[in-house]
Amino acid sequence: MSSLAEALLSCRQVSRYFGSLAAVKDVSLDVMPGEVLGIGGPNGAGKSTLFDVITGLVPASAGSISFAGRSISGKGADEICHAGVARTFQLNAAFEHLSVQENIEVAAHFGSTARIFPGFRVAASARAAAAESLETVGLIGKSAQRAGALPVFDRKLLMIAGAIVTKPKILFLDEPVGGLNRDEIDLIQALIERLRTSGMTIVVIEHVMRFLLTLSSRVIIMHHGEIIFEGLPGQVAEDRTVVDIYLGQGAAQRLRAHFSDTQHA
Amino acid sequence: MVNFIKDRSSRWTLPADAWIGLLVIIIAVAVPFVIQSRYLLGEVILALIWAGVASQWNLLFGYAGVFSLAPMAFFAFGAYATAMLSYYLGWSVWLSIPAGAIVSIPFSLIIGLACLRLEGVYVALLTFAVAQMMYLLIVTDTGCFQQIGGSCVQFTGGATGFSDFGDFGMRPLLHQYWMIGNYAVVCCGAFLTMLVSWIVIRSPMGLAFRAIRDNPGYAMARGVNRFRTHLLVFGISAFFIGLLGGLYAVHFQAIGPTVFSLSQLLFVIASVVVGGVGSFWGPLLGAVVLTGADEFLSDFGEYRSLGLGLIITAFVVFLPRGLVGEIVHLFALWRRKRQSHV
Ligand SMILES: Nc1ncnc2c1ncn2[C@@H]1O[C@H](COP(=O)(O)OP(=O)(O)O)[C@@H](O)[C@H]1O
Ligand SMILES: [Mg+2]
Repeated sequence: MSSLAEALLSCRQVSRYFGSLAAVKDVSLDVMPGEVLGIGGPNGAGKSTLFDVITGLVPASAGSISFAGRSISGKGADEICHAGVARTFQLNAAFEHLSVQENIEVAAHFGSTARIFPGFRVAASARAAAAESLETVGLIGKSAQRAGALPVFDRKLLMIAGAIVTKPKILFLDEPVGGLNRDEIDLIQALIERLRTSGMTIVVIEHVMRFLLTLSSRVIIMHHGEIIFEGLPGQVAEDRTVVDIYLGQGAAQRLRAHFSDTQHA
Repeated sequence: MVNFIKDRSSRWTLPADAWIGLLVIIIAVAVPFVIQSRYLLGEVILALIWAGVASQWNLLFGYAGVFSLAPMAFFAFGAYATAMLSYYLGWSVWLSIPAGAIVSIPFSLIIGLACLRLEGVYVALLTFAVAQMMYLLIVTDTGCFQQIGGSCVQFTGGATGFSDFGDFGMRPLLHQYWMIGNYAVVCCGAFLTMLVSWIVIRSPMGLAFRAIRDNPGYAMARGVNRFRTHLLVFGISAFFIGLLGGLYAVHFQAIGPTVFSLSQLLFVIASVVVGGVGSFWGPLLGAVVLTGADEFLSDFGEYRSLGLGLIITAFVVFLPRGLVGEIVHLFALWRRKRQSHV
């Protein structure tokens, strides 16, 4: 791992308890600028809770988190958003009764700077940013539709558009392709590639391993709230613990075959 | 609760709102010419006051998702502040009404600071408790503050309240048509209330209100501060509810603890539910319809609350969109049908 000083985000001994259950336990990790960090692990491993703690939606029970050299421990979700941390949600969150356009305008107007008084008009710069992000994800033609009426794929795109319109330095994606078909997964993958090329740092949770391993430059596997593996995507299927606890022999073999194919090609 | 809120403020309604607004203004101007009966005009004035209050409760609940049971507390605060400023300090009502509206803001913010960090149910409980406490403090106030002609006046007016603290001064001006003068003043107050709500709803404020109502966690993750936004909607609605309270007190030249009664609160809530939760014109239509229905309900005295409760239940169960919501819904269906035939 590179030196600590360079890390964009770092967690030190972060824990979150729900009653006696340790959803996240003593997690320390660093996210380097420009990398794509993949997070995998079985259901209930604490991946989403880790995101909730980092983005301020759920307070940590212990530990400290710093972003871009400043401590963000104990800050509100809105402040953390303003600091440049954006996320999507596993359950396809949206403002159901607002139009696609309005969904993005909220994020554009409120997401990049704190506004004590919201004002009487959506800033022109926010409107422009909203149009640009809808264009980026390919929802521009649907801006008048009600978010609640969108199919799953469009809701995922809407969440990504709402996240990137806040102009984040780091983007957390919680299962961005869960429940999507092959073609849709490829489209999201291409979108994330584009975001990475534009210089955004990305942390992504996903169960679809082929997607996760192709996209990530580094991978973490969590289990029972703890990090049980950290390494390169190619090493995941080689790791005994990960294979036993999470992947199983069959999936590990298929992944190994897949990766040796792509490396020979 | 949020399930039956259907948001109808998408952009295409913008010109429609302007037309409806124009129609409402024309009707409002025509009313004093058409209605000759002073009693009926008085009922219209009441309907307008409740329409204004209901529009603010709609802003709170329908748009921002804050289930406050304190609208009558702010109404009473504005009304009492107006009455007391004129009664004790001899202020002109034209000064004490806006003053009452303005002091309602800090009052609402104190209550908001105490309860808006809590979850929805607790906001309802606490705001209800505040209204009840105000009521009890007023009716149990027996200490003599002033002695007038051998009788005792409590600081808060006690169980009888205040009267004869001033009026709009329409009698010397308009003689037997004084009620039309009162009507014009209340009309302006209600109009201002609705106009400002419309502007607020269309602005980023309204966007933030609706975003937090739909999904508070997601709104926070997109940079919207829930607590500050809720304080804002609390302050805005308290100002206008307080203003309407002041107008009410001066129109009747009296204010007493009966404004705290459960049936008044239910009337406001019913107006919003009947008209359509989260629809801009709903509360106005709801208040007008219910004022008409109240002609019957008031005859039943204490059963008024029961009647209002039944009306609320019936609408929530059978017509959750409310009257305006149903009209808009049917109109949308008809448009879609016509388009598919073309
Ligand atoms: N709000 C909550 N209250 C109680 N337990 C929770 C809460 N959120 C998550 N958990 C528990 O924490 C554990 C981790 O959940 P989660 O972070 O959603 O896992 P993952 O995203 O890895 O599937 C699970 O056992 C889950 O039941
Ligand atoms: Mg999860």
